[in-house]
Formats: sequence, structure tokens, C-alpha cells
Amino acid sequence: MALLEVKNLSTEFKTDQGRVQAVRDVSFSLNQGEVLGIVGESGSGKSQTMYSIIGLLAENGVVTEGDVTFDGVDISRKNFKTKKAYEEAMRKLRGNTMAMIFQDPMTFLNPVLKIETQLIEPLMNHTKMTKAQARERALELMRLVGIPSPEKRITQYPFEFSGGMRQRIVIAIALACNPKLIIADEPTTALDVTIQAQVLELIDHLREERDSAIIMITHDLGVVAKLCDRVAIMYGGKIVEIGTDKEIFYDPKHPYTLGLLSCIANPEDDDEKELTPIPGSPPDLLNPPKGCPFVDRCTKAMRVCKDHMPSVTTFSDTHQCACWLNHSKAVK
Amino acid sequence: MSEKPILSVKDLKTHFDVTKGIFSPKQIVKAVDGVTFDVMPNETFGLVGESGCGKSTLGRTIVKLYDPVSGSIEFNGQDISKIKGSDLKTFRKDMQMIFQDPYASLNPRMTVGEIIKEPMIIHNIYNTDEEREARVVELLKIVGLKPDHIRRYPAEFSGGQRQRIGIARALAVNPKFIVCDEPISALDVSIQAQVINLLKNIQKEMGLSYLFIAHDLSMVKHISDKIGVMYLGHMMECGPSNDVYHRPLHPYTVALLSAIPIPDPEVSKAKSRIVLEGEIPSPINPPKGCPFCTRCSKATERCHNEMPQPIQVGNRQVSCFLYER
Repeated sequence: MALLEVKNLSTEFKTDQGRVQAVRDVSFSLNQGEVLGIVGESGSGKSQTMYSIIGLLAENGVVTEGDVTFDGVDISRKNFKTKKAYEEAMRKLRGNTMAMIFQDPMTFLNPVLKIETQLIEPLMNHTKMTKAQARERALELMRLVGIPSPEKRITQYPFEFSGGMRQRIVIAIALACNPKLIIADEPTTALDVTIQAQVLELIDHLREERDSAIIMITHDLGVVAKLCDRVAIMYGGKIVEIGTDKEIFYDPKHPYTLGLLSCIANPEDDDEKELTPIPGSPPDLLNPPKGCPFVDRCTKAMRVCKDHMPSVTTFSDTHQCACWLNHSKAVK
Repeated sequence: MSEKPILSVKDLKTHFDVTKGIFSPKQIVKAVDGVTFDVMPNETFGLVGESGCGKSTLGRTIVKLYDPVSGSIEFNGQDISKIKGSDLKTFRKDMQMIFQDPYASLNPRMTVGEIIKEPMIIHNIYNTDEEREARVVELLKIVGLKPDHIRRYPAEFSGGQRQRIGIARALAVNPKFIVCDEPISALDVSIQAQVINLLKNIQKEMGLSYLFIAHDLSMVKHISDKIGVMYLGHMMECGPSNDVYHRPLHPYTVALLSAIPIPDPEVSKAKSRIVLEGEIPSPINPPKGCPFCTRCSKATERCHNEMPQPIQVGNRQVSCFLYER
């Protein structure tokens, strides 16, 4: 059975201008020990999908539809009678069996608390450890993520750590209770390449060692290629294509995936391959197009794309794509 | 055929005094510490390095936003490292800058037209406002915006469009050289390629030279003719981009390049990475010898005590004892 199962998830934000449909009918599943990459541009709804799953939406955000099953338990909002009950349940999950790694380690860590306090907090909340035991575990975690001389470092404050070291602390906090699922929201975007390499290596190593499932939200296809088993491409609040890493990189079916792959520079290529940018910019989710979200930027758009949401075509057990071009009646 | 470089930087040093309080010992950040390189006309020189390596400081020193401590910057045969006043103004007409953050670098209270017109007014390029307005419309077309965008405010544009406005502003005075300080790092992938292609086309049409500063090595490799790799204020290696990429000489370049994630799952998952231990040392107390000696696997006794000088290896310049003969 899948560890995480998301079905037809939709999320809206109420704003002064109207309802922003940030997540529209998103479904996917994730197995134990698997790394799923979620790729998309800013505003494609990749982060909001995750926040909807773990119940961290902003005040004006509502999950309007969908089911989320985690580890055999239904954790969708509508399954709880009151908001309080939902938040109570989510609080027990977050940092325990489900953990998050955020993009910016400086804003995630509390600048006025020692690393020690922040590291033992999830342990004190979710386990029956004594403070001494929790501290012991905290030191072990710091060693695990590769922080030198943890006994000395544990009494320091976040500002005394560099960016890469801070991100290691954030990862250590996420790992504290041996989570089954780790959601990493652009964990290396704020870091330099050599530090990024260290952190990616660490995540990869931890995955092998503990068999946790990881959802990796990113816009860097290089990171996806390095780390992920499966990839979901999001655009305009929807998953437009999902498949294994090889299916997505070597056999993309959606014009947007194809566009993304041809507008990044691959340093291995020798000559000046001209980059093919995708014209235009992403749709406004306040009034998303009635049909395919990509229709305005797609070079292969047909009339049907404008008015009708594309149906999902299945290519293999793992590879699905929502585009009319793959429909059996489409002109090839 | 020996063409004269448009920009020639020699042993440039930019230091900042960060001493706290008058009684504390003097603390100097050596942000740029002895950098030498040339940029030819119509060429793009890519400058890469991790944050804190001094690449932005170098760019800003070249456009004279910072004053260098020593060394020379020759632009078009004239040493500009010490110019002031009206000479500086004339020089700025030839050298413009595109900034990293398209949100912070445009005044939110000025319309797009006013923003692009401002440098023309400062440099007295056109006599009448009609001429200026016509030029603004022309520039908007060049950068792929619509003429009717002229009366709009920056807030109405997306990140990629704002960066285009920044480019139009830099082009307004017909410069010969543009320093691009991470112009694409704030943009989405699909928009990055748009801006890169735009910069390339403009270069072809107007015969510009670029100093392209970025930390995204794949993009730098794509746009640049030459690449310079910086580390802790020093130029570690510099040469034609394909050569530097495929046959890196300096141990730091080797490590840096092996850290780039390649967007190809089979290559990427098979690739063994040279994972560098540790992080960049503080530029306040840099190592005595080679700046990279604390993280280098090939470091010898000599590297810790002596600073390697740049040496010519083929068409490349490398600062490493390994290549001394």
C-alpha cells in the first residue's frame, strides 16, 4: 500500500481580487523509500500542494476538495469535524512521522534559541524521552548530518552557523523522530553548488539508510535528475505529467515538459545549442483558462485545448500525461 | 592578429574596512585581492564562484561603484581606476550594469518610460523629449516589450519583464560594455532562457561586451566565451569556456564543476562527485598561502605558506603550484 495517497486535491485562496485556484485536482501517490520530485515554476502550486497535505496553509487558504491518506489514515480536512481537531491531529503528525525541510534555513530556525533547544523540541513533544536522552539523541543527529564537534556546536545560536550548516541543522530537526515521509521544499535553492552537492549527498545517504519517502519540491531539473525516482511536473496548479525519472527526461509527452527540458543549458553539451525558451508567462490562477493551463504558451495548441481540460493518457504503470496531443483521436 | 582588449584588469584589489569600534584591532575584508583578466570586444566573460568569493564586488569595482585599493582597470585603453567627476560620467555612459534583483532595482514610483529615459537625460543624449520618447519605444521593442507599456509602473510586470526593463535601461545610453550581475538568478527556468537569448541577440546586433556574473555554472558556460573562476577574492583559473569546463586544471574548478547537477538522470546518478569538505574560509582571516589550501585534497606544505601566482598554461591562466614547471 502506498505511504501517501493524494486524490483530487484542490486548494483555493480567498483574496480581495477573488479566489485564486492554487491547486487544481492534483492526484499522486508515494511509496515507502521513494523520492518524488515535484517540478514547476513559481506559482505553479507545488508548495501549496504540500502545505495542503500537511495542513500548513495560510489563513485564507482552504482545501475545497480531495482526500489525503497517509500511512493508512485519512488526514483530509473534511474528515475532521472541527478545525481544532484537525490541527490537533496534524500537530501530532508534523515533526513526528511527517517532517518538512524548508527552503530558507535562516527564517526556519529561531534566532534567539540555541540549537539545542530547537533540536530537542520535536523529541520532547513527540516522544517520552527525558531531556538528557533527547540531548544525547540531538548530538547523534548532528553527527549524522555531518556537523563537526557537535558537543561544542549544540550550545551555539543559528547565526554562528553558515548557510550550509544551518540547512544541516534543519535536516537534523526533520529527522529527529525518524519520519516516514520528508517533504523538502527547495532545500538547496539558497545554497552554493558545492554546499548543495554536500546536502544532496546527505539526503541521498539518509534515504538509503532509513528508507524514508521523500518529496522534493524544486525547480532545478539537475537536482531532480540526481536524486529522484519519479517526477511530477506541475503547471498552473495541475500535475501535467508524472513518470519515472527516465520517462520524464528521455520520453517527455507534455509540450511543457519538453519546453522545460529544452530551455535549460546542459553543460555536458559541447556546442552552442540554442536555448529554446517557452514564450509568454504562466497563467493567472485567479482566472485560469477553461481548458489546458498551458494553452497560451503551447506551440502545438489546438482548438480543443482552449475549451476542454485535457484527459489523462496512461503510457505505462508509472507514466501519465494530461495533454490532448496524446489522445487517440488527435492528429499525429 | 592581436586585438586590443576592451577591458583589462590588472592586479585589482578591493578591500573593506570592517573594524568595529575605534580601539579594536583593524579588520580588513579582502573581497577582491589581486585579480587579473582581459575582456575582448564582442566577448562575454563569465565570472563564477560561490557566494562570498568576491565576484559581485569585482563587478561593482569595475563599474566604479566601489573604489579599488590598488591595481588598474583599463577600459578602452584608459585607466579608469582613479577617474572622478565628469570623466567618470563619460565613462559610465560606455559601461552600464544590469542588476540581480528586478524587484529592487527599478523605482516603483517611476513609469517604465521615466526609468528608461533617466539615463538619457543624465547623459544629455537627445535634445528633445520626443526624441527620447521615440528611443524608449524602440528600446522596448528590442527587449520584447510593447510600446504601450511605457506609461505603466514596474509593479504591473512579472520578474522576467522587469528584467527586460532593466536591460532596456542599460541599453539606453548605447554602452559598449555591460556588467550583468546575476541577471537571471531571480527568474524561473523558462524565463531565464528568454533573457539569456535576448542578451545574446542584443550582443550580436550592437557589438557589446559582457561581464556576466552568476553562480549557475551551466548558464554561464552557455553564454560565455571565456570563464573566470573566483575563490575568496582570487581568480583561480581563467580561459575559454569549453576548455575550462571539459579540462579543468585547478583543483577548485574540478571540484566546482563536479558539483553541478546535470539534468540527465543516467549521467547524473552515475557521476561521482568530488564532494568538498568544509566551507569557504572567512575573507577577514584568509589562509596565508593558497586560499583553497584548507579544502584542497592536493595541498602540500608549500600551498599553506606561499601564495601561488597566476601562470599561463596553454591558453589558460591558473593559480596553482601543480602546474609550475
